[in-house]
Amino acid sequence: MPLDTSAYSLALLRVDGRRWNELRRIHAQIRTQAAADGSSYLEMGHTKVMCVVNGPSEPGPRRGGVATGGGGGGGGGQSKNAEVAVNIVIAGFSSVDRKRRGRGDKQVFELQSTISQALAASLHTHLFPHSTINISLHVLSQDGSLLAALINAATLACVDAGIPMTDYVAACTAGSTSTYAANDEGADPLLDMNHQEEQELPGLTVATLGDSDRVAVLVCESRVQVSRLEGMLAVGVDGCKQVREILDRVVREKGIKMIQEGTVERGVGLNDMELD
Amino acid sequence: MASLKRSFESDPFAQNISSKVYVRSTKSGKVQKIVREVYLRQDIPCSSRLCNACLKIAPRDAANRPIPFVLSDKPAGTSVFTQGHYIVPDTNAFLSAMDLFEQSSAFYDVIVLQVVLEEVRARSLPLYNRLISLTKSEDKRFYVFFNEFRLETYVTREEGESVNDRNDRAVRKAVKWYNEHLSKTSKKAPAVVMLSNDRDNLRKAKEDDIPAYSLADYVKQLKDGEQLLDMIPEVEERDALIEKKPGQFLYPEYYTLSKMNTGVRNGLLHQGIFNVSPYNYLEGSIRVPAFPKALLILGRENINRAVDGDLVVVEVLPKDQWKEPSTQVIEEEAVTKNENPDTEEGSDLISEKERKALQEEAKRTLAKTTEGHALPTAKVVGIIKRNWRQYVGHIDQSSVSSSAAQGRKQDSVFVIPMDKKIPKIRLRTRQVAELLGKRILVTIDAWDRTSRHPTGHFVRSLGELETKAAETEALLLEYDVQYRPFPKTVLDCLPKEGHDWKVPASMDDPGWRDRADLRDLLICSIDPIGCQDIDDALHARPLPNGNFEVGVHIADVSHFVKPNNAMDTEASIRGTTVYLVDKRIDMLPMLLGTDLCSLKPYVERYAFSVIWEMNSNADIVGARFTKSVIKSREAFSYEQAQLRIDDASQQDELTNSIRTLLELSKKLKQKRLDAGALSLSSPEIKVHMESETSDPIDVKTKEHLPTMSLVEEFMLLANTSVAAKIYEAFPQTAILRRHAAPPKTNFDELANQLRVKKGLDLSVESSRALADSLDLCVDPKEPFFNTLIRIMATRCMMSAEYFCSGTQSYPEFRHYGLASEIYTHFTSPIRRYADLVAHRQLAAAIEYEPVHPAVRSRGRLEAVCKNINVRHRNAQLAGRASIAYYVGQALRGKATEEDGFVMKIFSNGFVVLVPRFGIESLIRLRDLAEPEPAATYDAETYTLTTTGSREVKVELFQKVRVKVTDQKDETTGKRGVKMELVSTY
Repeated sequence: MPLDTSAYSLALLRVDGRRWNELRRIHAQIRTQAAADGSSYLEMGHTKVMCVVNGPSEPGPRRGGVATGGGGGGGGGQSKNAEVAVNIVIAGFSSVDRKRRGRGDKQVFELQSTISQALAASLHTHLFPHSTINISLHVLSQDGSLLAALINAATLACVDAGIPMTDYVAACTAGSTSTYAANDEGADPLLDMNHQEEQELPGLTVATLGDSDRVAVLVCESRVQVSRLEGMLAVGVDGCKQVREILDRVVREKGIKMIQEGTVERGVGLNDMELD
Repeated sequence: MASLKRSFESDPFAQNISSKVYVRSTKSGKVQKIVREVYLRQDIPCSSRLCNACLKIAPRDAANRPIPFVLSDKPAGTSVFTQGHYIVPDTNAFLSAMDLFEQSSAFYDVIVLQVVLEEVRARSLPLYNRLISLTKSEDKRFYVFFNEFRLETYVTREEGESVNDRNDRAVRKAVKWYNEHLSKTSKKAPAVVMLSNDRDNLRKAKEDDIPAYSLADYVKQLKDGEQLLDMIPEVEERDALIEKKPGQFLYPEYYTLSKMNTGVRNGLLHQGIFNVSPYNYLEGSIRVPAFPKALLILGRENINRAVDGDLVVVEVLPKDQWKEPSTQVIEEEAVTKNENPDTEEGSDLISEKERKALQEEAKRTLAKTTEGHALPTAKVVGIIKRNWRQYVGHIDQSSVSSSAAQGRKQDSVFVIPMDKKIPKIRLRTRQVAELLGKRILVTIDAWDRTSRHPTGHFVRSLGELETKAAETEALLLEYDVQYRPFPKTVLDCLPKEGHDWKVPASMDDPGWRDRADLRDLLICSIDPIGCQDIDDALHARPLPNGNFEVGVHIADVSHFVKPNNAMDTEASIRGTTVYLVDKRIDMLPMLLGTDLCSLKPYVERYAFSVIWEMNSNADIVGARFTKSVIKSREAFSYEQAQLRIDDASQQDELTNSIRTLLELSKKLKQKRLDAGALSLSSPEIKVHMESETSDPIDVKTKEHLPTMSLVEEFMLLANTSVAAKIYEAFPQTAILRRHAAPPKTNFDELANQLRVKKGLDLSVESSRALADSLDLCVDPKEPFFNTLIRIMATRCMMSAEYFCSGTQSYPEFRHYGLASEIYTHFTSPIRRYADLVAHRQLAAAIEYEPVHPAVRSRGRLEAVCKNINVRHRNAQLAGRASIAYYVGQALRGKATEEDGFVMKIFSNGFVVLVPRFGIESLIRLRDLAEPEPAATYDAETYTLTTTGSREVKVELFQKVRVKVTDQKDETTGKRGVKMELVSTY
């Protein structure tokens, strides 16, 4: 049996061999599905998600085929702003216990609405009145920090779809090395929690807007001492900046590649980009 | 088209990432495949103080503090590694010989590999916890090296390789890496030595040129190796033995785990804790939910290697094998005295003598089964969890061969545990001569089907039998009392001022926040003579409206012991202070217990006060709780207080207030009795010591004074008031104490005995009915008879327990003995941990301080309750055992005749209680006369009539005259009392 999170204090190593302030390996790709307006694939450790964006599109004569999970951001139909509709499908094979989630799963609803509101804060929805941006997220594998991975994938897909936005919404999780009940004053904050850590330790998900410290999402569903919260939040925000760098690099690399392959023309704004 | 496929090698991280795949099965039997990431790195230090390269990469925590390096720069050497060495044990070394690593004479600078730690954890959680505490101890220098995360030492499992082989290879690779790594630091770098008991692993290590030894070979290189050798269990020899004689199984095989699980689920098998009868080692019982009465397990074969306390699975036997519980006393030493520990394998499972004892038993029961007294019997078919611990015992003199007593040859001997419920343990040792006549600590390693007795190994010697130090330590070990001095981390939590600490003079000090100033009240404490840890003090004063204000002031321990610091953790583990006759093992360090917290007279102390307004009828008009500062005017002993009350000339205010308290307490007591509170009894005695040598000189029964019940009543009242308050504030998590109503069947035996022998009726419908009928159990000629019945009734009761309010429904909260709806412990926080938790909860309930998460996490409180219930019980048992030992010492060389009462009767003996000494002892038929008289036992009338060499008739409850002498029991090594029947009345 592998050790649990209480072994951290022995050598300041986490259950998967990371230090307290290290992210897991993040691998991302954009434009994975040519048929969609925007698409992305993202891995944070063993958490693997893919995202497809369609829109912004004006509603057709008969709308309603699309499940609108989180209509929280923007109005929709007749409003001045575009509606950000998020739909999440969690594959049954994504977690160890292979539990099938039904359509009416409340946790999924909450994820949808959180992501919808987070993106609505960055996307320029006012440019597309009466229309809908459909974001479809598929969870292929789960190993903690699911909400963060979904937000990051959705951001990348929106960039790919070319929807104007203020900046990246980059997310990650932060936790603490000892449980709430242990009330250990010397607990270290942790960056980017995996599934085992999420099960055993308190944690939160934070998303920031671009380079700034502006927090777009903050979700904390576990009990934790207020005194530890500040450290966790600082580590989380710092992690978001690292995530932003990675997302930005993915977008730029793909852009360079596309220009080299001649898929798009070299634009004016790309002068400052190094192409070799 | 973009593809999601990517080559792993193209990823810059790839070489540092690996994954760990393992399969586990869930409770419901599903198999899950778990995949985990592993990040391989090169900045995991070797932690040797010799190594400068690693110092640069020492990891830092969030506060930028580096981890100190553990392994010494001048490690100890052995005869082979004179330059010094570090040890890397593999898993089986820890699993089989953890005691060895805990030695203080050797085994320093140990590298615990992650792979080993993981395997230890998977195999045994208690051993894992012991290993973890070793890694935390500063002087033992154990370092956990995460070899699975270091790039150079990580190994992947090869095709066809078993997990064990892979892990062994990982250990060897880590040892190799360490040797190469350290050789860079200096020319005379210490060697890194692998210790293993796995021959295959050792052989492969030799092939790769890795220094490796078996535990035995390694220990021989040490200076005092000889003594440590005994602590190594002989695994290899046992393996060889099984190969040698495959047919010679003495015991039936256990069922497989899955078969047991299915059986238990289907209701065909039953699971429960195995208990051995204290009078008959071949009779066990097990309580299972499916049966109202305990199932009997009779005979060696049915007990099938279960040891008292194990969690076992049993199968009920067919009805024709049902039996009556034994009416005979069978003691292991007497029956199996002449067994030879060496020639074990060939003999039959049941020896001739045992067979005879069983035969007699069978005859007796056969005659009676027709009457329908037979109880269901069962046999053990498997063991879920062993409850083996370390046992205190001594070597059976008769099992030692004369050659072994001199030489250094390894020899098999029997160890007889102090606890009579534990079977003899076979021990192989080289130091028989030294260990004879000593109290020793042993553990059980295994109990094979081929061996009649369990095999164990020697842990350490406590000292000569019957010396005070050895016997006291034996007692503490046997009852699992933590008696080591408080570690430094705990002492660091004490106030810096030490004994000079004072209540701050300025009322603006934060310590005064929300505290009531009660320094001008006339408060005093009443305790036993010589009491140093004064938990409680009292006051009473008349109010203008004719009522009284009564206050109970309890030491404010929670002010000094903050939740979750080292001191709190230690106290929660200890659970309670243990009082022995000559010694007190404190729950909290002395400084707090006997000084800063103790409500000593004439000084100001912090207290937690419960203050009631009562009318003259002792009805409560109002109650309030507050933290306070008090100044006790006097610390009385019970006797002093009583004298003062009785002396009519004393008319000062303090004495009058004690008189008021006494009056009120009498009314409170009456109310309690009216509600059905039981007044129970247990023989209480006191050992008088000579003040200088502290040798026991006399034994007295305790006297009861009205002042004792004065204090008791107000403590009960305070506890009840506090219980109600904290339950109101924390309905789910209040720490309470309950005493369940005993099942009626518990009293069947006693009620029947009373009816047959005395024509008395015992009604047990409610505590009130029981209290009333106990009052009627009197024998006009014999005043002690009532007490005797109360003692016996007490033994039929359940024991009271701490619990967390969310785990029971409100009606279950009831305290049966006190006839109180709700109850807790609040009044002795210096000596009981439960009281400390109650203090914290009350402080939060009155909004003195915010609720600390530790006192409202239900899971944690349940764990605390579970622990303190066990500790509380053990403390009581240890206290009693200590008294029993000193009574034996006090009677040494004296012979007195005393009156006694027959409490229990068997077909070959009876138990007599002597109230004068509070002791009970068995008188066997063979003690009556030589040769042993024949006897007939009539179970209907509880009468034993002997004929032949001596003719007496013994009845239950009968008063007898006995001669009490001391006797050293050769088999248990205990000095105990021996009784001889002089005459019957």
